Amino acid sequence: MMVSSSRKITPIFGAELDKLVTLPLIWRTFVATFIVNLALTAAFTSANLQGAIGTQSILATGLASMGYLQAGFIILGILATCSEYTGGQIRTTLTTIPWRGLQLSTKHLALAVVTIPMALILTGSGILYAFIMMRDTAAEMEIDTMIKTLLGATGYLTLTTLLSAAIGALFKRTTPALVVLLGYYFIVSPLAREYLPNIQYYFPDTAGSYMYMPLSSGEISSLSPLQGTGIILAWTLFFITAAIVCYRKRDA
Amino acid sequence: MRAFNAELSKLFSLPGMWLAFVIGILAPPLLAILDSLAEKEDIIAGVSTRLSEVGFTGLGGGVQGIIILGVLAVSSEYLTESSESGGGNQITTSLTAVSSRLQFLLAKAGAVTVISVLLSILAIGTTVAATHLILGDYAPAFEASRLIGAVCYWTFTALLAFGMTVLTKSGIIPLAVLMINSSVVTISFLLTKVTKLAFYLPDMAGLDMFLSPSGGFHTPFTGGVIMFAWVTVLFLAAAIVFHRRDVAS
Repeated sequence: MMVSSSRKITPIFGAELDKLVTLPLIWRTFVATFIVNLALTAAFTSANLQGAIGTQSILATGLASMGYLQAGFIILGILATCSEYTGGQIRTTLTTIPWRGLQLSTKHLALAVVTIPMALILTGSGILYAFIMMRDTAAEMEIDTMIKTLLGATGYLTLTTLLSAAIGALFKRTTPALVVLLGYYFIVSPLAREYLPNIQYYFPDTAGSYMYMPLSSGEISSLSPLQGTGIILAWTLFFITAAIVCYRKRDA
Repeated sequence: MRAFNAELSKLFSLPGMWLAFVIGILAPPLLAILDSLAEKEDIIAGVSTRLSEVGFTGLGGGVQGIIILGVLAVSSEYLTESSESGGGNQITTSLTAVSSRLQFLLAKAGAVTVISVLLSILAIGTTVAATHLILGDYAPAFEASRLIGAVCYWTFTALLAFGMTVLTKSGIIPLAVLMINSSVVTISFLLTKVTKLAFYLPDMAGLDMFLSPSGGFHTPFTGGVIMFAWVTVLFLAAAIVFHRRDVAS
């Protein structure tokens, strides 16, 4: 059957979006991440408020929980692709959409559309909380730095989600994918940061963190936000491509 | 006893269990090697303040394998098979064979305990060997009481993961919470900066059995007792919920 690719994309995109939005686990993950994030931000804020007056930055405090927040988005990404494989939903999907490359890339697109508002809400709420609590004591904050940081953090979380989705598609099972990603982000990467300071800038999470980290003047070889974005984007595209290639070759 | 043997056989035949074993045996010595290399010069110069902690930091940080063990032991029972093979859960079969739910849970917890004790002894062996390899004659003496503390910490961590997974039925939440909390800067450690109560969290108290992250807030013995209390409470909650819950739900 010859159908032009542009006419295929809209229904496929609608279907993928529909599947993601109706996945109850996605919403539960989002709500849980939101609550945990607020609790952590509250803890960080109260810890910072005990410091000297006028020195704290609202942005740094509001985003201090980013390291833990990304776990929620890693789970989100893995769930999006691995949910297809529990109970054989994948065969139904591929019967109705027999173009595998198109299907998986549209899935990532739909996931990005779902993730961006979520990430914006989460990072925004963290900064807002820190702003309300620290209004009187913290240093002045410029509005355009705040917008830049917010966009950077949202972009970072979205790219991390897409990367996790690609890894999930490669592993096809939730538990191994989760172990590998959490192990990398929370154990291997902090260690690498300590013991391999030269090459850590090329790792997706360290490079990505420059997308939202307020620039500290002390560091010499740090990356600009744009360079950080480029590196994490390259990693994400690499894993998505690998996932699509495997997906096309492999038995479903 | 037969239920216990069955649980052991089920655990050893899980593919994920080999991942847990590999991580459990390799992660602690790897961390210990990195730590020893970083501290080597100070130790040889005799100015290191952390000589007694080298090696034990590996055992404190390398608990990921044991977490996977505790989580998989339960979550594998609840994994839904594909619709082509009936869409069943292993748990229904298990409870048909062993109809007393408490007995089933105890047998499973027993199997997890035995395997974690074995795994932690293996991990201690590799970690001590790795430390001696890097530091040679400067390697610290590993006191038996602290090694026992490390074995207890590992076993209690596995049982905590086990209890949490019985409550949640899926491995995602316990894996995420426990693995993040075993990272280099743990959430519990950050919380101790906010409130002193955080020293009573299971991992902070448990670490006191062989390291002293709290700076001597608990003695090794009270640390162990606090962590054991957490394990007991969680296990009781898990047993009550498991006893009353519909298997199919």
